[in-house]
Amino acid sequence: MNLGKQFKEGLLTNNPVLVQVLGMCSTMAITTSFFNGMGMGISVLVILTLSNVIIAAIRKIIPDKIRIAMFIVVIAGFVTCVDLLIQAFVPALSESLGVFIPLIVVNCIILGRAEAFSYKNGVVASFWDGIFQGIGYTAVLLVMCIIREFLGAGTFGGGILGADGAGIRILPEQFPMGMLTLPVGGFLVLACLIALMQWALSKSKDKEESK
Amino acid sequence: MSNEVKTKEKVDMDPKYITTLTVTLLVTCLIVAALLGLVNGVTAGPIAEINQQKTEQAMLAVVADPDNTTFSDPLEVSAAMTDAASAAGGTLGAVYEAQVGGASAGYAVTVSASGSQGTIEMMVGVDAEGAVTGVSVISHSETSGIGTKVVGNEPTASGVGVLDQFVGKSAADGTLTVGTNVDAITGATVSTRGVTTGVNAALAAVAAIG
Repeated sequence: MNLGKQFKEGLLTNNPVLVQVLGMCSTMAITTSFFNGMGMGISVLVILTLSNVIIAAIRKIIPDKIRIAMFIVVIAGFVTCVDLLIQAFVPALSESLGVFIPLIVVNCIILGRAEAFSYKNGVVASFWDGIFQGIGYTAVLLVMCIIREFLGAGTFGGGILGADGAGIRILPEQFPMGMLTLPVGGFLVLACLIALMQWALSKSKDKEESK
Repeated sequence: MSNEVKTKEKVDMDPKYITTLTVTLLVTCLIVAALLGLVNGVTAGPIAEINQQKTEQAMLAVVADPDNTTFSDPLEVSAAMTDAASAAGGTLGAVYEAQVGGASAGYAVTVSASGSQGTIEMMVGVDAEGAVTGVSVISHSETSGIGTKVVGNEPTASGVGVLDQFVGKSAADGTLTVGTNVDAITGATVSTRGVTTGVNAALAAVAAIG
């Protein structure tokens, strides 16, 4: 396993959201402002990396028959830690992400990577897998946040930039389509992104084959 | 559908293996629990402090004259008050007496009612005449970007903030209902309904004080 390949997999060819289609619930629900996407992305990145490392470290002593239970215990432990830390030290984030932080426990990206990668690979490779998959997830969230916030609310950087964290207004107030900040907008934007990604991947595959 | 009875796969595990499974899982759980205890020890203080601050801010936000108002310690909640709140669909939390210059100027009541994703805990200010002086949400788990519009007091179609519209309403207006005398935020009707239930419960509880 080399780093370049893992990086490319996490961000593009095996992107957790666009290619593996994992973690849909959180992707759809929280990508309404830049701050939310950033906070959720980083939380998942941290939890994914920690759980990947721990699971890779103890993979030899995990009995095959109860591995899922073991994964969940480890993941739930880390999620609760991160949840408590966010509540204590970044209250603004915990307020806007609400219930979605504890729900990271059932985010399939983390369980998926535990089963598909860290249970079969070493600690170092799993660490990087966590980082890169986390970056891939965060990147998609940010792209979705930017699109939905721009089209749905007409602002950029909601939650951190601008007065009271309202974001910097780009479109005048009468133009945005509020629908895009609702779940239906999440589906639309995500579908477009997945279609775009699949098109780009199949194109690059064709290119490779014709060589 | 066939009526075949599926024979269960026979679990043929030797007791030693089962013991290994149990012990491994048990030890992992113990370690994780210990870790959680540690983190909780670090974060319990700051979280309690933040909640305390939030409560105080929420109380000040719902009284008519925040600059001169002080609050009593939580009053003793009687069964009549709890029952009145429950009858209106909410759950009564604490009741604080608001005092301006030492005289009673009404109450700040924490109530909770169910929203769309979970319980909404809110603070409702009621003046001595039994009219609402303000509503603010303390904690909630509403959908970010949808239900949070209600929490953030965004204006409804009528232009008034969704929480501000309760100001001045009292038991004399009858039971508050979304659609008749309360406007909802588009897409967040259930969250608005939750807040409305809370306000009704708070008014009922204050009326039951005496």
